[in-house]
Amino acid sequence: MLASVPSEALTGLEGHAVDVEADVVAAAPSFSIVGLPGAAVQESRERVRAAIVNSSYEFPSRRITVNLAPADLRKEGPSFDLPVALALLQATGQVRRRGAGTDEPRGRCADDERRRGRIAAVGELGLDGSVRSVTGALAIAEGLRRHGATGLVLPAANASEAALVAGLDVYPVRDLREAAAVLAADGDGAGRAAAPDVADLLSAPPPDDTDWSDIAGQSQVKRALEVAVAGAHNVLLSGPPGAGKTMFARRLPGVMPPLTLDEAIAVTRVHSVAGLLPAGAALVTRRALRAPHHTISSVGLVGGGATPRPGEVSLAHLGVLFLDEFPEFGMSALEGLRQPLEDGDVTISRALTSVCFPARIMLVAAMNPCPCGYLGDRERACACPAFRVRQYRSRLSGPLLDRIDLRIEVPRLAPDERRRLDLDETSAVVRARVTAARERQLARLRGTGAYANAHMTVRHLRRLCRLEPDAVSLLDRAYERLRISARACDRVVKVAQTIADLEGAASITVAHVGESLSYRFHGDDLPLG
Amino acid sequence: MGHEIRDDSDRPVSAPTRRGVANVRLGRAAEEAAARYLEARGWRLLGRNVRVGRGELDIIARRGPVLAFVEVKARRTHTCGSPEDAVSPAKRRQVARLAELWLGARPWALGGVRDVRFDIVAVDLTTFPAAVRHLAAAFTSD
Repeated sequence: MLASVPSEALTGLEGHAVDVEADVVAAAPSFSIVGLPGAAVQESRERVRAAIVNSSYEFPSRRITVNLAPADLRKEGPSFDLPVALALLQATGQVRRRGAGTDEPRGRCADDERRRGRIAAVGELGLDGSVRSVTGALAIAEGLRRHGATGLVLPAANASEAALVAGLDVYPVRDLREAAAVLAADGDGAGRAAAPDVADLLSAPPPDDTDWSDIAGQSQVKRALEVAVAGAHNVLLSGPPGAGKTMFARRLPGVMPPLTLDEAIAVTRVHSVAGLLPAGAALVTRRALRAPHHTISSVGLVGGGATPRPGEVSLAHLGVLFLDEFPEFGMSALEGLRQPLEDGDVTISRALTSVCFPARIMLVAAMNPCPCGYLGDRERACACPAFRVRQYRSRLSGPLLDRIDLRIEVPRLAPDERRRLDLDETSAVVRARVTAARERQLARLRGTGAYANAHMTVRHLRRLCRLEPDAVSLLDRAYERLRISARACDRVVKVAQTIADLEGAASITVAHVGESLSYRFHGDDLPLG
Repeated sequence: MGHEIRDDSDRPVSAPTRRGVANVRLGRAAEEAAARYLEARGWRLLGRNVRVGRGELDIIARRGPVLAFVEVKARRTHTCGSPEDAVSPAKRRQVARLAELWLGARPWALGGVRDVRFDIVAVDLTTFPAAVRHLAAAFTSD
C-alpha cells in the first residue's frame, strides 16, 4: 500500500516542499530510503524501525521503499524521522486518516494541490518513540504555510516558535503515538499550540545584570558610542588592555532600541536554523551580541559549510558583532566581512543551491594601539619598536577600515575619574535618546529601505541630508587640509546627520560636522578610507 | 583465446576429517529438529535444503500470510558465541540473495503472502535437552 505525508526541507532559511512517500509490498524484507537522502536521513531507518516497534506498533516485514520527493533536492538532517514513520504506519494500515482516499488528489497534479488542506510533520525520533526537537522550526512552518499545508505536527519543544506563523495549526507532540493520533483524527480534537503573546515577550524588561551606568567616567567614549548606536554606524575602539572596550561592547545591545516584531522574527529564524534557540522559546526578543574569538575561521564568521549554516555575522543580525583583538583575526575571515557590511546579507553559493542569510549588523571592532598595548598611554611607556606598530596596524585593510564610520579611543581612566560612581546614566536613559533619534531617521528614510543613517546610499545622502552653509564650508576646509577622500567626506556627513538626529535638529550645523570629524580622525595614523 | 581445460577429477581429495563428518551430522540433525519445531507450531514446510544455484536455503516455510526463509544454526558450545551470532553478515546477504532468486523463479509462491521474513532457528546444545529458539524477522536484505 502507498501513503504519503507532507514535510519540509530547509536550505538555509528557505523551505522546500517535500513529500514523504512510503510503499510497502510483500517481497523479501528490506527498508530503503531514496530521493537524495544525506547520511542522517539514511540513519533514520534504524531510528524509525526502533521507534515503531517500541511504540507497540508492528514494523512490517515486507519490502519498504520510502521516497522523499522531489528527488533532485538533497535532504539533510533527522527531521524526516517522524514523517517517514507516519507514512509507514499509514501504508501498513496501522493509522488511517479520516476521510483519506476521498479528498486526496491522485495522479499528476501540482505539488501545492497535493498538500492543500493536509497536515504535515517534522521531527526527530528517539529509539523509544519519543519525538525530539528539530532546528529551523520557524522557517519550516513558514514554508509549509506558503506551500498550502494547514497543519503541522512537530516536537513539543519547537511548538511555540512555529506557532508564530499565522494560518497554520500547530500540533505539539511528545511521541510517535500522539503524532499518529493527530493524523488519524485529521487534527480534530488534538491540542493546538497557542500563538505566543508577542507583545508581552517583546516588552519584557531586559535583564539588569549589565547596565550603561556600570562604566564609570569615559564620558567621551560614551557619547561617541551613543552616536554610533543611534545611526547603526560601525566603530573601531582602540585602547590599552583593561580600559573597558569589552565592557562597553557587552552593554551596547542594552542601549539599542527594542526589536520590532518583524525584526524579532527575522532574528529568531536565523537562531532557530543554527539550533541556538532555547527549547520551548518562541522568540529571540533581545538584540544579539556575538563575540567570536579571533581564531575563528572564515566559514565560522561569515557562514558556509557543505550544507550552508549561518555564521556569526548572521547570528548577530540586527545586533552587535564584537571583534576583540581585531588585527589578530585571519585575513580571509575579515575580508569575508566586506560583503555583509555593504549589503546587509550573506550569499553562500554551492553547486546545487545558493543560500542567503541576513547579516545587518553593527560592527564593533576593538584593538590595542600597538602589540604591547600601551602606545599613547599617560603613564606606561610603549615597548614596541616602530616597525612592529606599523606591522600590527597594516593588518587592517583599507577597504575594511573604510566601512568603519567612527574610530574611538578608549583611554585608561585617571584615578579621580575612576572613583566617580554616581553621575552615570543608565541604559534606559540612553536607549530612550537612541530610540528617538532612530525614529527621526526612520521618518526621513521612509521608502528608501534603510532604517538608519549608516545604511544610506550616496543618493539618499545628497537628497535627504541638509547642511547649513558654515557646515559646508567646514567640510570643504577638511577636504582640502586633511586630504580626505570624497567617500570619507560622505561618511562624515552620515555621522553628522546622526548627531543632528540625536539633538533633534532639522539641519546639520557646523558643530555636528566638527564632532563627526573628530570621530573620523581619532585613530591618527591609521590608513584612511 | 583458448582455455586449457584441466581435468582434475583424479586430483587427490582430502579425506573427510572426523570433526568435519561430525559437524555435517550435527547440522543435519539440527535441521531436522528445526523442521519438527516449526511444523509443531503450524508452519507448512515448502522445502528443505533447497538448492538455488550454488547455495542452499535450509528451510522455506509458510504459515498463513507469512512466508519465511529459515536459516538453521547449531552450536555445541558458546566458545565462539551463540548460534544466532553465527549467522554472519555475509551469510545473511547470501540467504537474502538466494531468496530473491527463488522467489523470482516462482512468482506464484507470493500468492496470499503479506509478510516475507528471514528467520533464524538456533539449536543450542549447551543445555540438555537442546534448546531450540526461533528468531522471527532476524534480518532483512538491506
